[in-house]
Amino acid sequence: LSGTSSIGGGANRRGMAAAVAGAALIVAVVLLALRQDRDVRQQVPSGRSEVVFWHFWGGKDRPVVEEIVDRFNASQDEYFVRAIAMPGNNLDLKFFLSVAGEDPPDVINQDDPIVADWAHRGALVPLDELASSEEVARLSGWLFPAAREIGGYQGRLYALCNGLDVRALYYNADVLAEFGLAPPRTIEELTSAALRIAPPDSPEPHRRFGYLPDPRRIWSWGIVFGGQFYDPASGGVTADSKPVVAALDWMASFSRQYGAETVARFRKGDQALPGAAFPLLEGRYAMIMDGQWRVAEIAAVQAAARRRGENVPSYGVVPLPPPPGGREDAGWVNGNFFVVPRGARNGRGAWAFMKFWSGFDGHEAEAARACAAGGWLPASQRVVDHPKFQDHLRRYPMFATFVALASSPNQVPTPSVAGAQFFQDEVIRAAEDAMYKQIPPAEALRQAARRVQTRLEAERE
Amino acid sequence: MAPLWHCVTGPGRTTMSVNRRRTTITALVFVSPWLFGLFALVIYPFAASLAWSFERYDMLRPPEFAGTANYVRLAEELATGQRFGQAVWNTAYYALVSVPLSIVLGVGLAVTLAWNVRGRAVYRTIFFLPSVVPAVASSVLWMWLLDPQAGLVNYLLSQLGLPTPGWFNSTAEAAWLPGWFTGNGGLGSKDALVLMSLWGVGNFMIIYLAALGDIPPQLYEAAELDGAGPLRRFWHITLPMLSPVIFFNLVMGLIHAVQAFTQIYIVSEGQGAPAGSTLVLSLYIFLSAFKYLEMGYASAIAWMLFVVIVLVTVALFRSSRRWVYYQGVGR
Repeated sequence: LSGTSSIGGGANRRGMAAAVAGAALIVAVVLLALRQDRDVRQQVPSGRSEVVFWHFWGGKDRPVVEEIVDRFNASQDEYFVRAIAMPGNNLDLKFFLSVAGEDPPDVINQDDPIVADWAHRGALVPLDELASSEEVARLSGWLFPAAREIGGYQGRLYALCNGLDVRALYYNADVLAEFGLAPPRTIEELTSAALRIAPPDSPEPHRRFGYLPDPRRIWSWGIVFGGQFYDPASGGVTADSKPVVAALDWMASFSRQYGAETVARFRKGDQALPGAAFPLLEGRYAMIMDGQWRVAEIAAVQAAARRRGENVPSYGVVPLPPPPGGREDAGWVNGNFFVVPRGARNGRGAWAFMKFWSGFDGHEAEAARACAAGGWLPASQRVVDHPKFQDHLRRYPMFATFVALASSPNQVPTPSVAGAQFFQDEVIRAAEDAMYKQIPPAEALRQAARRVQTRLEAERE
Repeated sequence: MAPLWHCVTGPGRTTMSVNRRRTTITALVFVSPWLFGLFALVIYPFAASLAWSFERYDMLRPPEFAGTANYVRLAEELATGQRFGQAVWNTAYYALVSVPLSIVLGVGLAVTLAWNVRGRAVYRTIFFLPSVVPAVASSVLWMWLLDPQAGLVNYLLSQLGLPTPGWFNSTAEAAWLPGWFTGNGGLGSKDALVLMSLWGVGNFMIIYLAALGDIPPQLYEAAELDGAGPLRRFWHITLPMLSPVIFFNLVMGLIHAVQAFTQIYIVSEGQGAPAGSTLVLSLYIFLSAFKYLEMGYASAIAWMLFVVIVLVTVALFRSSRRWVYYQGVGR
């Protein structure tokens, strides 16, 4: 600065010129960026309006999604869907920030329990603002009860489910036969089979377990044991009710018998392993709870063994076995659903696309085709009944167990309350505390229920 | 010339020459993007988060004044050892174990690599390489290495007949002394995080190496003439002369350790798994703000974290008078 000052006006002019040049450069870059954006938007066919669609599908599912989008676009002369893949587990955050920043997409596909949380905050457009009341009433009857519950909040539908995720108990039939066991039909049979296949007092470390519970599945076992986590009538959290405590106590009994450390190191994370790394297929478990998406993976492994001329392993699946007084065909259900954010520019186009994919309003064939391609479970019996999906069922017979479970009233999603994600995570943490830290199940669930109740009451204020 | 500050605000402003005024304007034009950034990205969020910490705020609806409710909740959770209390313990454990170990390892490596051995530059590069590996990549790598069932580390330990820890799958805490007596004293998820952090010790090592090069050789020559052995020379010359750099690394290391997020988020499934054993304060802030939509509560946690960092830093600066030696200043 000193030098500049002493040299005088010439240097100042050069400085100003440099500043102006710098500013011009920034403006030019911004204009170029905007121009590029405009170029991309020009790809929308003339006369059609764009529908911006965010989804989390990646890997082998992404081409399936892109094909559905292409089919929709080919069927349209009014709307054009632009699919943007955001794989990973932060789609909620991106969506949330886009709504807070008032620049959301037109439609999003998600599977976390966010509907009530977001609807409560006015971030979602209820479906009755996109469609006529007659259409919404018809949709309500068209969906499976679980799909209806997943999309609803305080008596209104905010999300359209396009696929359910239901869990059941897979088993390795060869291993069960080796021990002279039949697929378990009750919790006692499951427990005794698990302990027989992997005796807790074995001197050698286990390389295979009969069954080990996953703390996240307290949401399933709690229902199977006859419990409920929330009482809609009173608005009270009942996660510490007797059946749920009994379920967690049963889950923690594996930690007590095998040792918490043993269960933790064998269990954590392995549920998510895909394809042939699925622990059941690797022979690490004789029985494991998982969803319908494993059916195609099991079939692929069996087909590969057949091609190689090897012994084809035999697998099966049964509904989660209940204890006496528990619920049949029960479990925790979630699903993939579409929501339209408040501030979306093309809600009508979003609604048209949602109907096309989910199969509602005469699009059952498209939904059946999509579900068969993606290994997804339809959200409506009408899609299940479609010949294209029936073909799929004939090809993958194990899928039928999940289809039957999908229509069961005992398939219960995370409670549709503001704070649902917090609710879900707190209960899972209580299960982890009981299983890995040996905290008494009743105490762990009581603390979780108290925290969730406090949170729900704060949301209601 | 008077400093720029005087040109802008001083009493001489009215008599400021035309040239000086132009100089000032030019300077302000140049620094304005950074000034804007400072206000928009630092000062405003700083002040806003303080205000939000006394409010209920979900970022979609206007904030509501909640008094000290967020801080009362923090105090309750701290007292009962629940989420916030757990996060404080996990953060303290990670910082207090990883930072001293990184200093010991960093100094040890630097002193070793300062020897004039063949291929010294290659060794230095090898030890520094982990520091340039992206955090996400190194996290995934460590998850595979430390897998209790199929990981390379446990395979090698089992081949040596040593116990195989549960690492990221375990809630055990090696540094928790009572754990040794209750049989829960193996290496667990937090110890695995410490191990991961030590992999990046090359950063510290480079700074120590530079500082070692600044130690006057005549000090060692004089000590040798007086009959001092290698250990004495290290204790009475190397360590005191390195103490300003050790102090710098201690302060920066503690701040970074307390704010650690990326690697912990990846290895803990974004939840602090298993059973909250890796739920550190930064992760708890993230979950509260963006997953549970409690920005007010998250802001209160952030401010507690800020206060703790300030207090620790002040305490370290005060203690430094006793153990940090600055050349030419005296103790």
